[in-house]
Amino acid sequence: MAVAVEMLNISKFYPGVIANDNVSLSVNEGEILGLIGENGAGKSTMMNMLYGMTQPDEGVIKLFGKEVHIQSPNMAIKLGIGMVHQHFMLMPNLSVLQNIILGNTPTKHGLIDVKQAKNKIEEIMETYDLPISLDEKIYQLSVGEKQRVEIIKALYREAKVLILDEPTAVLTPQETDKLLDVLRELKKRGCAIIFITHKLREVMAITDEIVVMRKGVVTGSLSTSEANTGGLSDMIVGRKVDLEIPRGEYQPGETVLNVENIHALNQRGLPALNGVNLKVARGEIVGIAGVEGNGQAELIEVISGMLRPTEGKVILKGEDVTNKDVRQRREDGLSHIPEDRLGMGTAVNCSIRDNLILNRYYQRPYCKNGILDNKKLHQLSEELCKDFGVKTPDSTYKLGTLSGGNMQKVVFAREMDANPDFLIAAQPTRGVDIGAIESIHHKIMEVRDSNRGVLLVSAELDEILSLSDRILVMYEGEIVAEFKRGEADERTMGTYMTGAKRQGGENNEE
Amino acid sequence: MKNKNDSKIMSAARVVGKQISLIVLALLFATVFLAVSGYEPFAILNGITESLTVDIAGTIRWATPLILSGLAICVTYKAEVFNLGVDGQIYMGAAAATAVAVIMPESMNHGVSVVVIFLTAMAAGAAFAMIPALMKVYLGTDVIVSTLLLNFVAELFIEYLVTGPLKSPEENMNMNASKVLNENTWLPRISFLEPSSANIGIYIAIVLMLFLTFVFFRTAFGHEIRIVGANPVLARYAGIKPKKTILQVMGLSGAIGGIVGAIEVTAVQHRLLAAFNPDFGFDGIVVSLLANNNPIGVLFSGIFFGALKNGGINMERITDVPSAITDIVTAIIFIIISAKFILPKIRNPKMKKVRSSEGGK
Repeated sequence: MAVAVEMLNISKFYPGVIANDNVSLSVNEGEILGLIGENGAGKSTMMNMLYGMTQPDEGVIKLFGKEVHIQSPNMAIKLGIGMVHQHFMLMPNLSVLQNIILGNTPTKHGLIDVKQAKNKIEEIMETYDLPISLDEKIYQLSVGEKQRVEIIKALYREAKVLILDEPTAVLTPQETDKLLDVLRELKKRGCAIIFITHKLREVMAITDEIVVMRKGVVTGSLSTSEANTGGLSDMIVGRKVDLEIPRGEYQPGETVLNVENIHALNQRGLPALNGVNLKVARGEIVGIAGVEGNGQAELIEVISGMLRPTEGKVILKGEDVTNKDVRQRREDGLSHIPEDRLGMGTAVNCSIRDNLILNRYYQRPYCKNGILDNKKLHQLSEELCKDFGVKTPDSTYKLGTLSGGNMQKVVFAREMDANPDFLIAAQPTRGVDIGAIESIHHKIMEVRDSNRGVLLVSAELDEILSLSDRILVMYEGEIVAEFKRGEADERTMGTYMTGAKRQGGENNEE
Repeated sequence: MKNKNDSKIMSAARVVGKQISLIVLALLFATVFLAVSGYEPFAILNGITESLTVDIAGTIRWATPLILSGLAICVTYKAEVFNLGVDGQIYMGAAAATAVAVIMPESMNHGVSVVVIFLTAMAAGAAFAMIPALMKVYLGTDVIVSTLLLNFVAELFIEYLVTGPLKSPEENMNMNASKVLNENTWLPRISFLEPSSANIGIYIAIVLMLFLTFVFFRTAFGHEIRIVGANPVLARYAGIKPKKTILQVMGLSGAIGGIVGAIEVTAVQHRLLAAFNPDFGFDGIVVSLLANNNPIGVLFSGIFFGALKNGGINMERITDVPSAITDIVTAIIFIIISAKFILPKIRNPKMKKVRSSEGGK
């Protein structure tokens, strides 16, 4: 088959950083290329250049054998390149149809030719088995459906090359399977696909060729039939990776957190939690799985004290803390690694020190009568940076100077410094690379093995399955299923996550 | 370690340099404007030079309320509370100061009466600032809007006072003002700067500046203000109560505004005048922004704007250049500072280049 895309010896320099250094890759028609690597490895920069969002400083891009200079996304679309972004580029208040034809509207006598557009879209939906209601507004759709709209949009614009940037990060296992089916169909019809992902299993399942990138260069380029997951992760990180986390024997101790019949409203005043019961014991990790937006965020806020429940009780170490505020709960031994590192967990414009001392600044010996002992605080923050491997010359630097993984280390250092009896870890590895994931997982396991309790909330099923002693599945503000370690696999959990099934009555009891 | 300190000094020097270049740019604009309009081009530069040399007394008179207003602003802006209501707080402070001063018996000890007057003024300013603060905390009202509108309430309240309850009983008074206060309620002027109305309010301003510097950088409260300003969600998550911090900074800001009002009444005018306040509160915003909301910086930028204001008044007296020119300088500085905040967001030359080249096809 003919070569669809060739990117030859591409280099891209930003002030002080080499984003891509002499990178080459190519995709044939009817072939799927898996592009993998850590965050900041340069994958997105490569794809942004192909999609015309930025231009290479060196190197050549060829489309179907012809050299092209792609100046803008608009030009890329005209050349037959489609991109499904990680963060969807859709107008929430417009209908599905309007979103699809936006920027490429068929007209008749100066008016939008809705009929023609509909015909064309329906044909695409049928060919690739991508059903969706065209009149619904985007904000009414689920994440998986939004992605479907993005794919239809690309096909409507007659994309011959399709770029998918981490398309499965937000999908349930069932939705992922569906997506992979669609991709196979596209491949059969001669579409060239570039598939960016973190998940090696998907790469193995669907791609034909694999390119591994690290620190702006290609560290491996091989065909999928020759690859194995172990070898790939070593190539990604550049060293041997230990994906199996050693864990001590499961010996649950006394209950450290007890949540009883919690009801709560979300920010818009709608019910988000409808009678949640759960317990976490010392020495165990309880994982909460579920598609995002099913009440996990509210549950965490209720437990940590940021949100008042309308009904129910939160009991921490045997004491009812329902009416206690955040600080009192923290002093009682609760720590919290928040889901949204930038929005909630840190202040990027403050110094690393200011971020590290948040649990300590008002306590003796760091503070006497409201006056800070800056020397002691500085000592503390320097020690924490050293102990947790935060890479910075000095903790007075702004937090914003750190990478995502290092910021997460700052959050970890701060929360662990409080020596918690109970830790909430929400999406602890979101947006950090494989190397950092490994160390974060080890740290969480250390907390468990030192006889303390962990509540792990994650959208990554892999993470839940590999770390948890018990797994709870949340759906629409309720816990609909509970599994012991090893009892569940992704598929069964997926059916509960989408609400297709629920364990009868007994799921709320222990 | 030495390197670190060096780099800190360097970065501080860079900030100061940047602010000074802002001033130079604004003065340049104004000079060009004067030249184009057919006035004496160097009038404003001469005015400032004079203000900083022979007429330093006049500069101190104007710098005092400007520094204090700048401090009132920087307290809340550090917590990202955009309080535009310092003028209202000044009016209320002045009203309270006058109300207490007129009933103060002549026999009262001078020191005691001044302290009582100032404490009342601070309480009044703080109480008035509590209105928008409480509305913000409990109802989610936008502080910018509520404080701005309350300024009019306060201004009209003063007019009511000086035409009604506090109106001077003198027969042939043709201005809206209270009676002249007893001397035992006056805040002393600085004797070696007579006959200017420069007063010991400048010492209050300096002490307050040092106090706020200490609060910002050395206290737990200062750390809370910084965190609430940088990320209120983080503050809530860490157990700091942003609502409480907002009330605290607004109260502090209001109290400082009250001091300005009391100084203007008891040291400068010696009576409550309807139009005594030439928008010190708004000028305070520019003072504070030029200083990057840093109290030490506010002292210097307050002196600069004091010199500018004084220079403008002198300039009008000697030449035919209207003193409104100084407002233009202030406005230019304000615009350039505001642009600094907005520019990085819209400036993305790469994207623009792509768009424009595409348009050319």
